[in-house]
Amino acid sequence: MANATLQSAAAPRLRPLGRDLIGLALIALAGLSGYWLFPDNLAFLTRVISVALLVLSLDLVVGYCGIASLGQAALYGAGAYAAGIACINGITDPILLILIGAVAGAVTGLFTGAVMLRAHGLPQLVLSIALVQLLHEAANKASWLTGGSDGLSGMAPAPLFGVFEFDLWGRSAYLFGLCLLLVVFAVLSLIVRSPFGMVCRGLKEDPLRISALGIYAFPVLLKMFVISGAVAGTGGALAAIATQVVGLDSVSFELSANALVMLVLGGIGHLYGALIGTVIFMALEHTVAAINPFHWMTLVGAVLIAIVLFAPRGLSGTLDQIAALLTRRGGRAGR
Amino acid sequence: MNGTSFGRLLRSGALALAGTLATLSGAAFADTIKVGIIGPFSGPFALQGKNFQAGAEAWLAQNGKTVAGHDIELVYRDLPTANPQQARALAQELIVKDKVQYLGGVYFTPDAMAITPLLKQGNVPLVIFNAATSAIMNSSPLVVRTSFTLPQTTTPLGKAAVERGAKKFVSIVSDYGPGVDAEGAFKKAITAAGGEVVESIRIPLNTTEFSPIMQRIRDSGAEGAFAFLPSGPPTLGFVKAFSDTGLKKAGVKLFAPGDLTQESDLPALGEAADGLITSFHYAVSHDSEVNKRFVAAAEKAIGAPDLLSFPAVGAYDGMFVISKMIAATAGKQDAEKAVEAVKGLGWESPRGPVKIDPETRHITQTIYLREVAKDAQGRWINKEIASFPEQGDPGLAK
Repeated sequence: MANATLQSAAAPRLRPLGRDLIGLALIALAGLSGYWLFPDNLAFLTRVISVALLVLSLDLVVGYCGIASLGQAALYGAGAYAAGIACINGITDPILLILIGAVAGAVTGLFTGAVMLRAHGLPQLVLSIALVQLLHEAANKASWLTGGSDGLSGMAPAPLFGVFEFDLWGRSAYLFGLCLLLVVFAVLSLIVRSPFGMVCRGLKEDPLRISALGIYAFPVLLKMFVISGAVAGTGGALAAIATQVVGLDSVSFELSANALVMLVLGGIGHLYGALIGTVIFMALEHTVAAINPFHWMTLVGAVLIAIVLFAPRGLSGTLDQIAALLTRRGGRAGR
Repeated sequence: MNGTSFGRLLRSGALALAGTLATLSGAAFADTIKVGIIGPFSGPFALQGKNFQAGAEAWLAQNGKTVAGHDIELVYRDLPTANPQQARALAQELIVKDKVQYLGGVYFTPDAMAITPLLKQGNVPLVIFNAATSAIMNSSPLVVRTSFTLPQTTTPLGKAAVERGAKKFVSIVSDYGPGVDAEGAFKKAITAAGGEVVESIRIPLNTTEFSPIMQRIRDSGAEGAFAFLPSGPPTLGFVKAFSDTGLKKAGVKLFAPGDLTQESDLPALGEAADGLITSFHYAVSHDSEVNKRFVAAAEKAIGAPDLLSFPAVGAYDGMFVISKMIAATAGKQDAEKAVEAVKGLGWESPRGPVKIDPETRHITQTIYLREVAKDAQGRWINKEIASFPEQGDPGLAK
């Protein structure tokens, strides 16, 4: 990872704002072409966006702060349940529901962060698993509030701006989700490049040196946890609005682990890596499961092993390498 | 520079592609009727899903893949465990993308509850092959069920349990829709028969370790125990634990709906299940001509005879109901007319005479009291010892 930072530091600082805008435009383009190309798959694509938000939030914690976590779904589920419960109790405006989800995620992030930051390394990982399991069991036990194993259903979110309904075909849900993703991605790009983001990165790579600079790590990391919670909560709330069901699955260890797999697949420590990983993993799972609903897990496992063996730095890391190779050659040709 | 022309190119390309796809799929479903089947085809409950598949394919093998001139195509979608969100996504995609005219399958209640709100908008009926909570039927008028409900299978058990000399009972159920239904129905039936339930225990749906539960049964001092868990690894573990921890030897009598002794688990349970009294709608060993033909076809579809179990009969009868729906609507997509057509429909199922109740759209059938025993060939079976004909769903009867 130190390698990567050195590389990006060595590269000429080519107007980062401009690069961000190009990145955002690319995401928007990819998203809109998804809308045009797969008009019958919008429900699935909306799920991809909602999970992408979860993976982005995990990247903030794992990739930028170096905190091991296998419990990120706790934050996602908190957002989903908060939005779902609010919707059932009469708050139906989708934008308000997203905000409620984000706040619930942020608050959960504050608490889980406060607990997890007491430990380091493997104990921290174990704590994260314990936390998501606890929340899972709490949601299961409080079935009067969450529906327990039966799931929380009966939500009817109001049309977006009073016009665009969340229906069976999922057009408004998808475009709404895409806009959310763009906004979140833009904000996160700014955050990770801000001095605060740099301190987080520094804490990941050399905590001793950062503390020698007089910076106290705990509040910095906790702040990142809260931001991460808000992002995950947004994803959860989006899922709740789009599918109008919230199940125990959304606060499960399984989802947390899957999110980590997607992040590793895409490349840790790059925001766009989180997006690539989510899209590729979910698209793979989705297609293979449709082609062979009986043995699809075997195939997905085999492909994952292949990717990890041949692209150990994740797909975005490999893309970076290829890009570096190409620019070097291009540079030489130019000279 | 030429960003706009590029955009136009992309868009026209996308449109062309979408157009081709549309014509392709249009040609494909002109006279093929797709039936989407959602079930656990992988993961811990894969065997139950395989039984869905075996039942549906046994029906097609016996009756042909054409109904009233329309070809039937089954589209399977995997939902490994109870996951309402995923269930909804799968159903939505089957309706929107795969353009199925009928939905079938569904093993777990939470999944069924997540799917029912889509039916009206999608103009698609759902024929449930398993999910067994009474309340599902109230959530949409487009649901028909060919399996059973827990109140339906449990109620006859109350009298039988008290007759076998136990008065004080403890009930253990999985903490979700059907479990709560079973707990309530058993308590009602036991109280009516003159016994009492001294303790009711609810355990999380995904529990796999049962020794603490067995300790609680022992501590409760009950003479009889009632248990319901969804068929699969949980029931196998439970019955084994009941025997291994010595409760069976200590004389505590276990009564349960047939979910706990499904035929595919019996070889593994062996002596542990010997003599267990259950009540259920179907035993693979049921003695009738129709059942013999069904079992032969279903065993062929599933590969090994030992794997066959009750979800197969739900799927088999479900396919029969869907075929009647297709015939009644002449292949046109009209969910309301399709459901209307099968209300009151009666036929001879492998489990015995059955009928779709016109009020509840749930199946009225004979419930059998069975005992786990060895048959003439030395295989463990659920031996039918009494029958209660024409049982509706007490959970739905108002």
